[in-house]
Amino acid sequence: MLDLLAYDFIQRSLLAAALVGALCSTIGVFVVLRGLAFMGAGTAHAAFAGVALGYLMGWPPLLMAILFGLATVWITGWVEEKGRMKLDVSIGILYTATMALAILFIGLMKTYNAEVYGYLFGNVLAVTSEELRTIAGLSIVVIGAIVLFSKELYFIAFDQEMAEASGVPARRIFFLLLTLVALTVVISLKTVGAILVFAMILIPASTAYQLTHSLSTLTWYSVLIGIACSVGGVLISSYWDIPSGPAIVLLATLFFFIAVLLSPKRQRRTLASS
Amino acid sequence: MTFRPLIMSTPIIHFDHATFGFPGVIALEDISLEIQSGEFVGVIGPNGSGKTTLCRAVLGLMAPLKGHLRIFDCACDELRCHHRAKIGYLPQKGVVDRNFPVTVLETVMMGRYGALGLFTRPSGKDRKIALEALAHVGMEDHRDSALGHLSGGQQQRVFIARALAQQPKVLLLDEPTTGLDITTQHNVVELVRHLHDELGLTVLLITHDINMIRSHVDRLVLLKTRLYAAGPPADVLKPEILSQVYGKDLVITERDTIIVEDYHHHHH
Repeated sequence: MLDLLAYDFIQRSLLAAALVGALCSTIGVFVVLRGLAFMGAGTAHAAFAGVALGYLMGWPPLLMAILFGLATVWITGWVEEKGRMKLDVSIGILYTATMALAILFIGLMKTYNAEVYGYLFGNVLAVTSEELRTIAGLSIVVIGAIVLFSKELYFIAFDQEMAEASGVPARRIFFLLLTLVALTVVISLKTVGAILVFAMILIPASTAYQLTHSLSTLTWYSVLIGIACSVGGVLISSYWDIPSGPAIVLLATLFFFIAVLLSPKRQRRTLASS
Repeated sequence: MTFRPLIMSTPIIHFDHATFGFPGVIALEDISLEIQSGEFVGVIGPNGSGKTTLCRAVLGLMAPLKGHLRIFDCACDELRCHHRAKIGYLPQKGVVDRNFPVTVLETVMMGRYGALGLFTRPSGKDRKIALEALAHVGMEDHRDSALGHLSGGQQQRVFIARALAQQPKVLLLDEPTTGLDITTQHNVVELVRHLHDELGLTVLLITHDINMIRSHVDRLVLLKTRLYAAGPPADVLKPEILSQVYGKDLVITERDTIIVEDYHHHHH
């Protein structure tokens, strides 16, 4: 297996996977704690619609993905704040509507475009050096913002009303979190794809959630699990020649079930009920 | 019936003919009330009487439709984050999600976050303040425990410690005894009284439970959209005053216990 590491494209894809794994699992902590899981899944589909429109019109696909992603998170965030509609309803509508747009845009293309499908399913082994630089740059921006605002992000994830009352600009921090979720989805689109990106955000944090009662420990566990799954998934995928996205996500899912079985929280429940 | 203190000073909270709500739905009307620094004030009234609105107003989360509200001599709708950090707030709360992954010390440290402001990381000094706050509520031995593993009364103590970690001037408590058993209710109110005496805090305690707080407060404020009475408990808790607000729901027993018939809790 070690001789694989000599190839440039393997090194590139391992680096891309590690970056995306770290990024998704970090933002995932706040997504899971703040209860935004479904919103993120909707964002991924909206971003894919942006990519499809980009290819249809000849506009930059990543830029369109960012625009569509941001529009989705801001609209759903605004709806949640107003409390006029249940969040799962508004996201459900946007989720399916943007997917319909994506299918429409693809249908309007005169020819089959393999690159578009690359964004749907992702292929980390095909990442170019230029894409790797984009991923690295945007990852630094997003992780930097998370580190800079970590105490506020933790506070609104725990209790947004309380955060607001004790002098944290909670509304602005909430919209910052939504923006970071959208950017994370777009950055990860090329490597894991629109369908699987949300697993990368959700699973590492949910796995860590099973294992600890401390916010800071949770975050470190999540990041370690995220990187381990991404790198492990790429190695498995190149060694056995299977698609990289499913390899990463299924490895993460395996970790999750092991964590559920070993969870101290689960053991306490079993003891309590016996 | 506005309370006039003997020593004239700028009140820490000053309602001046203030009306709150949304156009068409008035929650509080024409409230005039001055709260002096260091007072322990209990706010009572039936459900839907505007007690929680009063709370939100003092936190600067809503502006008066009419009149004025000044907090720390600052108009409440211009209240900045650093002002809010000076108000330690204990929200009306159900029991937290038992599996939420947060330790007691991490919870109390959040009390420092508003006071620190953006871009400042908590230091050893903030940790020391948080540990002192935990000691004040007698929970220092539980600092590494999971918040969700504590009893309701212990959680309430941790949340009071979080408010104290803000090093507040005012402690604002919205129904702090809801959902606790009788002994724990008394312990929580006694703790608040003790903190008031020891730390010189101004305390505003909102409750539907008149008997619980009558012996602890300096002054009671009786609300039902309007302010019906404000003064020492003995002056406010008279049948002729209480019946204006509670009507026929009011029963005063021979042992002077006040019973009102609307003990169902409201949700938001």
